[in-house]
Amino acid sequence: MIRRLFIGTGTMAAATTLAQRAVVERAGSGKIGINLAGYRTGSDTASRTFLSVLKADLNRSGHFSVTSTGASVNVTGQVRAGSMMKADVQVYKVSTRQRMLGKSYDASAKAARGLAHKVADEIIYAVTGKKGMASAKIAMVGNRTGRKELYICDADGKNLRQITKDRSIVVGPDWSPDGKNIVYTSYKRGYPNVYITGRSKPLSSHGGLNASGTISPDGKSLAVILSRDGNPELYTKSLRTGRLKRLTRTRPGIEASPCWSPDGNHIVYVSDSSGRPHIYIISKDGGTPRRISSSGTENVAPDWGKNGYITWCSRIGGKYRIVVGNPAARTMRTLETDWADYEDPHWAPDGRHIVCSRTSNYRSAIYLLDTLKDSPVALISGSGDWYSPAVSP
Amino acid sequence: MKNVIFKLFVFVAVASSLAFIGGCRSKNANDADLYGSDNLYGDPLMGDMPLNDIDGLPADGDRSVVDPVFFAYDSSQVNPEEAGKCEEVAQLLKKGKYQGVISEGHGDERGSREYNLALGERRALAVRDYLISLGVDPTMVQTKSMGEEMPSDMGHDEGAWRKNRRVEFALY
Repeated sequence: MIRRLFIGTGTMAAATTLAQRAVVERAGSGKIGINLAGYRTGSDTASRTFLSVLKADLNRSGHFSVTSTGASVNVTGQVRAGSMMKADVQVYKVSTRQRMLGKSYDASAKAARGLAHKVADEIIYAVTGKKGMASAKIAMVGNRTGRKELYICDADGKNLRQITKDRSIVVGPDWSPDGKNIVYTSYKRGYPNVYITGRSKPLSSHGGLNASGTISPDGKSLAVILSRDGNPELYTKSLRTGRLKRLTRTRPGIEASPCWSPDGNHIVYVSDSSGRPHIYIISKDGGTPRRISSSGTENVAPDWGKNGYITWCSRIGGKYRIVVGNPAARTMRTLETDWADYEDPHWAPDGRHIVCSRTSNYRSAIYLLDTLKDSPVALISGSGDWYSPAVSP
Repeated sequence: MKNVIFKLFVFVAVASSLAFIGGCRSKNANDADLYGSDNLYGDPLMGDMPLNDIDGLPADGDRSVVDPVFFAYDSSQVNPEEAGKCEEVAQLLKKGKYQGVISEGHGDERGSREYNLALGERRALAVRDYLISLGVDPTMVQTKSMGEEMPSDMGHDEGAWRKNRRVEFALY
């Protein structure tokens, strides 16, 4: 019941767009068969990379099954690359021969993967009316250098690169709302302060703890955990004036992990003011918080998706598992996962997938979970631990 | 002797008030009122002492002077058997042997990293509060939470976790 409700609402977000689009019948697997056999590539590496990345993105999206027989959608066109690359893409509905997308793309041959991600998201939108996640970036913390540095990779786990070289400790990265920068906590000056990439001056450096910084959707405020007044509490800070507003008073309880609602009017966060860590929602102006988690011995690390749903990590039966809750309807469900610990869930921009860390035998890796039906996919694993993923908007 | 008895009294008062507040947490009580009216040891500012700005402050110190204070799982209460270490630090600071101390809070690997950062800070603040109650100048005590990021024992069992739930004293 809850599951069907979830699918229903996900669809509703794009209902207006969908109404104008051709409805494409789904195969028995519930997926749309899509055929790229007629898509021509040059013999160069960039062109072939483009096509294989595009196919993998379409399969990973959860909407499609790339097939050469019985498809209901055909992709035709060609890609050629020298130093520059040019891709022509036409997407047709097989039954009516109706064209759903016809576009020409140019990019540097070095950007073959990035161009494939962009085209994948445009095909997904043209056929299903829904936003994809192929172009998103994932920020995370990795320890392969022996220090804890900030890294980013593409949504398929490729193109991994190290962002910080502070030789210190990075905790809890999150993207700015424009998707251009990453806010994170670092000990590079000895104490835990909140920084943003591209700026050496910290966003928050009060005495005591400065952690879990996250910027509001309008880009004007930082929600942050500070202990400057004597206890770890939730604050907002104006990024223009620096003015602080304290939202909680729970001594000796503690707060952690704030995340803004999509409209920026509320903040979801963790508090142990009831004795155990639970998930609460509070107005950005303060007031009485509302608790939304009820079961589980620990409920931590909430993330409020643009789809309106909040995902968090709950310790159930001794294992950390991923929960998806609807704060309006007050319903929730636990995702089916294996025996490993799944933590730090973060919504992908498609509102369907969740990126999280999976820990087994004390090693952590980054995984992609589908809230509907597909199996988990490992995105980054090996060469040390990878954790605290955040997906760009 | 008298001094020892007084300290013991202060400690019991702090411990029982912490337990009392702990018991009231679920009622969402306004803790400003709670501390103002039900304060047991005559210091209404106890625990509400704002922290120093960190500009110009040392970020580390000598951790080998006094052993760490250890904590129970998910707890920030200073246990009676650990209190002696705080008293040792208070004596050193009051005698002017050091300029100040960083109360550095740590947690074990269980739970989320961000929650453990806040929990480590809460532990560091509980130790700070106790040092202040022993007469240490609040400006001499800074807090720093390392969360679960710097375990002292790399193991994954209760023995290791017990050693990792701690506050270290970095004296400078």
